[in-house]
Amino acid sequence: MARRIKLSVENLSKTFRVSAGRGAPPSLLPVLRNISFQVREGDIVSLIGESGCGKTTLLRIVQGLVARDAGNVKVDGKPVSAPGQDRGFVFQQASLLPWRSARENVEFGLELRRVPADVRRQRAAELLKLVGLGAAGEQYAHQLSGGMQQRVGLARALAIDPALLLMDEPFSALDAQTREELQAELLRIQSKTGKTVLFVTHDLDEAIYLSDQIVVLGARPSRVKTIIDVPFPRPRPPLSKLRGEPRFQQIRDEVWELISQKTAAVA
Amino acid sequence: MTARDAALSGADLKESAEIDVEDIATSGPSNRELWCIRVASIIFVLGAWEYFGRQANPLFASYPTAIARSFVTLIENGELIAALITSLKTLVISFVLGTVIGLVLGLLVGRYRRFEASVDWIISALYSTPKVAILPLIVLWLGLGAPTKIFLVTMTVIFPILINTIAGVKNVPAQLIDVGDAFAASERDIFLKIILPSAIPYMIAGIRLSVGKAVIALVVAEFFTAISGLGALITKYGNMYDTATMFVPILTLMLLGVLLQSGAKAAEKRLAAWRFTD
Ligand SMILES: Nc1ncnc2c1ncn2[C@@H]1O[C@H](COP(=O)(O)OP(=O)(O)OP(=O)(O)O)[C@@H](O)[C@H]1O
Ligand SMILES: [Mg+2]
Repeated sequence: MARRIKLSVENLSKTFRVSAGRGAPPSLLPVLRNISFQVREGDIVSLIGESGCGKTTLLRIVQGLVARDAGNVKVDGKPVSAPGQDRGFVFQQASLLPWRSARENVEFGLELRRVPADVRRQRAAELLKLVGLGAAGEQYAHQLSGGMQQRVGLARALAIDPALLLMDEPFSALDAQTREELQAELLRIQSKTGKTVLFVTHDLDEAIYLSDQIVVLGARPSRVKTIIDVPFPRPRPPLSKLRGEPRFQQIRDEVWELISQKTAAVA
Repeated sequence: MTARDAALSGADLKESAEIDVEDIATSGPSNRELWCIRVASIIFVLGAWEYFGRQANPLFASYPTAIARSFVTLIENGELIAALITSLKTLVISFVLGTVIGLVLGLLVGRYRRFEASVDWIISALYSTPKVAILPLIVLWLGLGAPTKIFLVTMTVIFPILINTIAGVKNVPAQLIDVGDAFAASERDIFLKIILPSAIPYMIAGIRLSVGKAVIALVVAEFFTAISGLGALITKYGNMYDTATMFVPILTLMLLGVLLQSGAKAAEKRLAAWRFTD
């Protein structure tokens, strides 16, 4: 099935300049080296790699929050380098605006686009319902549980109807049960909206359960080690059930092997 | 958010160690019981004041019923109202001026590093200068009338608000600015929809601090320039050795301060409602 390429990351490199204290010249921290991969329309692709390997940096470059040193990011074939509402971002800490209610948070991106209030309100109500928060619209962020906050964060990103959804370990701060609940929710919402998703995680099971493809990054400065196809058809059974499948274990072992083996240092 | 609250109460406490009676009364004994204790305490203190005040030489001390009589007299002859209006005029004009200048300047200094570098040294210098000390100079510039008073009180009001607003802008969590950036917000929208609302609790803390200082500055200005307003009443009856009557404007000023404080608090509950939900 030849689907369109939604996101294409080409030969992306990034080196941070880290200040080494007073007077000293800044030291260079190469984080990403020559990263290339593509995401097809309607797919969920996970980026996985050990902590500090540059997953967040890569996602922020795609969003346009961090400048790249080299390479290209194309959404629908068009190169992007600044933030835009064609991409929706879901943060690790939900990062809701605490002085706004859940509904007002969802409306944020639409407000920036000067969408009229009644249209915004209606859209926010739809989205809150979609993420299972139909009744909590008027609550402030701190009145919501962590899982509910992430749902609002997802609704906020979906509200602007982005071509691409970028999610940075959105469930990593949640307890195991809530995490599985939200993973299943994400699959349901994704199949309903048909969104293309680039999902950062360091949780193997999560990556396999959610993804059509897993992009495995090596240790810093990271390159793409492998891209693994996850063949389970959708809709998928609950994670607890999928885990029992031999193919699941096989993929898990394979990715685990790749992540844990230290890359031979390439200078 | 807890770190943020802590930072906030830090700012609150930096300049005044006032105890917030309402905030403390949240757990333990019931509100009703606490109010009974409070009323009993008030009655006891007033009673003791009345008793011991009557024993003392009326030149050195007065007592509640005498003050109440003087109060009625001052109301009847119109002196108190006239003085109050004069004082309030200075206070309101200065407060509005000081608040607007403090908030706007604070937002700009907090957000723009270049602007900050060009004015932060003036702010530090003026902040550390006791405003009363330059009063003689201000009198030379502006004369003994209203402008001098307004200048002094405005200068007093500006700084707590300015300093707090700067802190508020600088303490906007980076993640929240990130949200604005990620959603491609313009600089203007980031300012209005993220920085401003995030700094509001700090701003109001600054306004609350400045209320008390404004009343003090007002009285000082009324003592040392063209004698007028409530400050003038204090001087007048002090000079006449009429201690009971002298207490009337003093208590009026105290009431004014309390009223303004609770006004600022009410504004806080409205403007930063999200911080008061649980
Ligand atoms: N703005 C920055 N300036 C300097 N160094 C940075 C900056 N942002 C990230 N880094 C460094 O780049 C490296 C990669 O960070 P990044 O946050 O992308 O890792 P990550 O893969 O998301 O890790 P985790 O799984 O822990 O979230 C880290 O060593 C980090 O310290
Ligand atoms: Mg990260």
